[in-house]
Amino acid sequence: MTTVDIVNLFVSALLLAGVYAAMSVGMTIIYGVMKIVNLAHAGFLMLGAYFVFELYTRFHVDPLIGAVLAFPVFFSVGVGIHWLMIRRIPRSDQPTLTSLLLLFGLWLVLQNLGYLIWGNADRAILTPRTFSTLQIGPIIFPTVRLVVFGAAVASLLALEFVLHKTWFGRAVRALMQNSDAGRLVGVNVEGTARVAFGVGIAFAGAAGGLLAMMYSFTPDFGGSFLLRAFVIIVLGGLESFAGVAIGSLILALVETFSILAIPAGYQPSIAFSLLVLALVILPEGVAGLWNRRQRLT
Amino acid sequence: MAPILRLDRISKNFAGLAALKDVSFDVEEGGLFGLIGPNGAGKTTLLSVIAGSQSPSSGIITFRGRDLTGARSFHAVRSGIARTHQVPKPFRSLSVLENVEVGYRFGCHDRSASASKDAAQVLEWVGIGHLKQMPASRLSVGDLKRLELARTLAARPKLLLCDEVCSGLTETEAASILRLLGEIRRGGTTILYVEHNLRAIMSICDRVIVMNYGQKLAEGPPEAMQNDPSVIEAYIGKAASV
Amino acid sequence: MTDAGASSRSTISKFAPVAAPLALLAALAAFPLLGPGPNGIRLLFVTLVWVTTSVAWNLLGGFAGQVSFGFAVFYGLGAYSTAMSLNAGLDRPVSLLIGAAVAATASLLIGLPTFRLRGPYFAIATIGVSEAVRVVMTNVAVTGGASGYRLSEHGSFNQLLHFYTALSVAVVAVAISIFVRRSKFGLALVAIREDEGAASDLGVNPFRTKLLAHALAAALTGAAGGVYTGYAAFIYPQGVFGFDISVAILLMPIIGGVGTVWGPVVGALVYGFVHEELIASFPQLHLLLYGSLLILIILFEPGGVMGLLGKIVRFARSRSGRGAHSSA
Repeated sequence: MTTVDIVNLFVSALLLAGVYAAMSVGMTIIYGVMKIVNLAHAGFLMLGAYFVFELYTRFHVDPLIGAVLAFPVFFSVGVGIHWLMIRRIPRSDQPTLTSLLLLFGLWLVLQNLGYLIWGNADRAILTPRTFSTLQIGPIIFPTVRLVVFGAAVASLLALEFVLHKTWFGRAVRALMQNSDAGRLVGVNVEGTARVAFGVGIAFAGAAGGLLAMMYSFTPDFGGSFLLRAFVIIVLGGLESFAGVAIGSLILALVETFSILAIPAGYQPSIAFSLLVLALVILPEGVAGLWNRRQRLT
Repeated sequence: MAPILRLDRISKNFAGLAALKDVSFDVEEGGLFGLIGPNGAGKTTLLSVIAGSQSPSSGIITFRGRDLTGARSFHAVRSGIARTHQVPKPFRSLSVLENVEVGYRFGCHDRSASASKDAAQVLEWVGIGHLKQMPASRLSVGDLKRLELARTLAARPKLLLCDEVCSGLTETEAASILRLLGEIRRGGTTILYVEHNLRAIMSICDRVIVMNYGQKLAEGPPEAMQNDPSVIEAYIGKAASV
Repeated sequence: MTDAGASSRSTISKFAPVAAPLALLAALAAFPLLGPGPNGIRLLFVTLVWVTTSVAWNLLGGFAGQVSFGFAVFYGLGAYSTAMSLNAGLDRPVSLLIGAAVAATASLLIGLPTFRLRGPYFAIATIGVSEAVRVVMTNVAVTGGASGYRLSEHGSFNQLLHFYTALSVAVVAVAISIFVRRSKFGLALVAIREDEGAASDLGVNPFRTKLLAHALAAALTGAAGGVYTGYAAFIYPQGVFGFDISVAILLMPIIGGVGTVWGPVVGALVYGFVHEELIASFPQLHLLLYGSLLILIILFEPGGVMGLLGKIVRFARSRSGRGAHSSA
């Protein structure tokens, strides 16, 4: 194991963290504002992948542009679903099983839609970018991952901007802390929740498109990412986006470097084990530990 | 005679916020003690700590001579301390009778005869015997408060911690609950009673403990507390006590 | 409405709770003798295995309100332990007990850390555990890894034996469920479901109670896995530890009526038959169906089939009651 190898692994982990962050942002938004664990997130990742796939194979739209286009499309879908279903379940400041099961049902439906429309053959998006790499010194960067990393950073930054510099963002943050208080000071809870849900689904769809550039997919795509998204959100702390970055980094690092220690077959169990460990030991995530020290009376 | 409950410098911290700070006092057996203080004074937190729903950050709780510090609430109940909740927490899908049965079958440590019969008796005594088959989800606020009390009484506690049993009730309802507390006390149960309604406290308590900002401010007979400057200040503000 | 009519109605309502299940049991027991053929028996066999897992899951998820998304881990552990015991020469009842015991032990290990978590977090943690075990089993060589594990041949295949084994285990499960529901233990479970803090404040020990319910549910689920293994003679990790198994296990009680005694039975019967028919005619639609059903149930009738039936019965009763008064 040379230093170059280690650096390469590290870079690999960093880029993977970018992928994971991009993929989890959608879930974090919805969880943060509405305290809903969106199991259907996996379904929207999958639909996003197919959306970009169709645009690419039928209209030769570059997948990156496709992912950007996915944003408004999936936003509308998200708003529609909120209007159709989500607003009918009781709201709570704690995650409820009702919402969990409802969105689980939605995930099953989305999966089946996927199978009906596209069948269960493996699909992939192959562009010249897929296999190209960028070499800086001794370090090799797969281009696709760089692109996705860039997109992840951009979206996190955009989110931070919206959250802290816009009126909508302020409403969202108010709701994330205390929805009753938010309502009292005039925040339109249902409207904000609807937009937030739409944004969360939009990010899911766009992320799916990005993931489609790197992985092959079938309609049950998203399941393995779903679990990883949980791990990230729990590790990073469910309440903040910096938390998503931290959680993604931790998961990516552990997964990448675990190759050195355990056989490849066991790799998937890392995410699952981390998830359980994180839930049990760090209920507020790493960010929660930090917050506790920072909190004022 | 040793007090039934002794609190020795109880403190409770939540993420840097001191909800309780070095609270100490004794509760004599058979007495009716009031615990008053403005909102946020830490009264409910103190009850939670005594009852075992929360554990103190430091300090010692001695109950009937045994150290119960940090004992969880189901353990505390079986030892003889039971509490009501400020906002009633009924088991909604169970009937009123079944709610009380939970208290009787799990909390009461000197069991005898059939649980339902004794649970029904408690319900009658508290005044909601006629509602025993009704699902708890359909009770009015006043009846929920009575159910809360009945459930806790069914556990036959030696020390009953009441958290604002009268809040949200009409004058008449509150008066009848207070009468009930008097009867409970005459039956031998010690009561520690948190209440916002000062008139209620003054009318029935032997002794009053005043709290603010998580600390014990003063302690004494009700009349003395009414005139204590630090108490007045806590409730109304500095100007009034001058 | 005459007095005779009223008293015959009350007689029916007194005996129905006992008579109906016994009639159902008699019907199920007699089923193979009515000539449905091996395929029909297989269908009911699978359904009975599902009845067991459904009733078992409901002990924890329905009565106690702890919704686990990872019960496949107990099904799989039961399956593999029973298989290995059978291959070691132990007879069937002992092997099933071993399967149940292994699953119950696992449930204690899993429950100790995870029961500290609230609702959805507990659910997610159970997914993590189940999937982790599945991945491990896929890699462990002793049990065949991904290629699966085969039962060594022991004489000819006796379908009826397997059928009645499944029926017996299902009956035990339902009996346990009925008993729990009426017991002090059942009262504790419901109290925990409604408000764990208040339950603890009244003397219920939530940790011990949940662990016990978990162990009971896991044992029954493990036994179900063992029953299935005896029949299938070949099992592999994805088939018994798969997330789709966990999903099926939790869907059935929810469809039938979570938290009731007979809801899970109804849900399993519905799922068992419908599933087989669906797979045959519309293999592409089962996820859509279950997903939509789940959505509809959550939104409109959380009580599932039993809840719906209950509403219909109450509606019919109030109608006939009004009729009696108007004619008086």
